[in-house]
Amino acid sequence: MRRVLAIVATLVLLPASAAVGAELDELLEESREASYSAEQVITCSTPDGVRDAVIELSQTSGELHLGAAVHPDVEVASGSGGWTLVREGSVISSANVQGAVDEAEARYAVDEGADIDYLGREATIYRMTGDGVVRAELVFDMEIGALLRVVTFNANGSVYCERRFVTFDPNAPEPEESESAAGEPAEADVESDLPVTLGEFERLDVYRDEEGFLFAYYSDGFFSFAVFQIPAVLTLDDASIVTLAERVYRRSFGPGQVTYAWESRSGGMALVGDLPPDMHEEVLAGLPAPQDPGLLRRLWRSLFG
Amino acid sequence: MTHAGELISAYLDGELGRAEIDQLLDHLDGCGRCAAEMQDVQRVRSAVRSLPLLELPPGLIPEADAEVIPLHRNKGFLVGAAAAVVALVIAVAAIVTPSATPVSLEELNSRYAARASLDPAFGPAKVVVPYLSDFLE
Repeated sequence: MRRVLAIVATLVLLPASAAVGAELDELLEESREASYSAEQVITCSTPDGVRDAVIELSQTSGELHLGAAVHPDVEVASGSGGWTLVREGSVISSANVQGAVDEAEARYAVDEGADIDYLGREATIYRMTGDGVVRAELVFDMEIGALLRVVTFNANGSVYCERRFVTFDPNAPEPEESESAAGEPAEADVESDLPVTLGEFERLDVYRDEEGFLFAYYSDGFFSFAVFQIPAVLTLDDASIVTLAERVYRRSFGPGQVTYAWESRSGGMALVGDLPPDMHEEVLAGLPAPQDPGLLRRLWRSLFG
Repeated sequence: MTHAGELISAYLDGELGRAEIDQLLDHLDGCGRCAAEMQDVQRVRSAVRSLPLLELPPGLIPEADAEVIPLHRNKGFLVGAAAAVVALVIAVAAIVTPSATPVSLEELNSRYAARASLDPAFGPAKVVVPYLSDFLE
C-alpha cells in the first residue's frame, strides 16, 4: 500500500532550445508543452540489483510537478535561467545560469518512428541511436505529444531503465502557486580544474555555492551527470564497494540514478547521474583518482574528526 | 577490491554503514596487506591515545613541596615540554580548522536535480527520485 506523497518539488522547465538531434529536440519540446497528470513506474536493472519506484507527475503550462521528494525537506524551483534550493524557508543553494548554460553537441538521432497503441491511446515509438547503438526507445502520445514511456539501454542492448506511465490523464489539474525564493545566486561559470570533456560528455557549466559545494554538470545530449568536489566525505548508507579500472569506489544505485563517492587528495568527490552502467568506467577514469589520504590525515581525522 | 586504505580509515572513524562494514571485513579476511594496514593504523591510534599526562614542572606552584632541578639536568622535562608544545599546536589547529561534517546524498541529489531540470532532455525521462522508499510502504 502506498502512502500519499507530498508535493515538495516544483520543477519549472525552461523554454526548449537546441540540443539533441533536430527531430528528437522537437519531440521533447512538444512533450514539455503537453498538459497531463500521470503515474509513472520506474524500474532499473543495475549491477547491484533492481531499483524501482512509483511517482506521480502532473504537467501544465510548462511546469512539471513531482508527487515525490528529491529530499523531504528541500524544495527545488527552477526556470527563467536559474534554480534555487530552499530548506525550511531558507535558500541553501541557487544559481543564475542565464547565458551561461551551454548545451551538449548532438550525439543521438531518432528514427522515423512507428505507430503503436499505448494505454489505449495512439502513440509513436522512436528509437534513439548514438554511435550505431540503440540507447533509448521513446513513446510519445500522438494527440498531445506527452512522453509516455522511455526505455534506456546498455551498450550490449540490455535494458538499463524503463520509465512508463501506468495511468495517464490529459486533463491536468491547475498547479499550486509557488513563491519564488530570494537569494544571492551562485555563478555558473566559476573556475574549475574538472575536465572539459569526459568521454562523450561535455562539461556544460560549473557552480560553487555558499555551502562549499563545487560541482560541474556534464551531458551528452540525453544522459547527464554532475561531478562534485565537496568539503567532506559523502555518506552512502547502502553503498557497495566496486573496483573500476583498478580504482575503488563506493557506489549506490537509485531508481534511474547512480552515485559514486570517493576520496581524492583534494578532498571528497562524488558523481551523481543517470548514465547507464557501461558508461561509468570511462567517465570515472577522467576524474581525480581515489587516493589514500595518508597516515597523518587519517590520524588527524581519528583524533579530531 | 584492490586496496581499501580509504575505507579502513572510514571504518575506524565510524563512518561506514553496515553493508560497507560487512564488505570491508570480508575483504580483510582475504587481503593480508589491507589487514596489516588496519592493524598499523589501530596501533598508532592506541599509542597516541595512551600517551601519559604531563605533570606540572616543579616550582610552577610556589606552595608545592618540590625539589627544583635545573632544566639542563632534567631531560625528561625538556621532552615533556616539547610534547606539550606539539600538542598545543595541534589543538590550536584543530580549533581553527573547520570540522568536516559528512555530506549527505540528499544534498548532492538536490543540486543535481535542480540543474538537470534545465536540461533539454528533462521531463518524465529524467526525473530524479532517489528516495521513494521513504515514502512507500
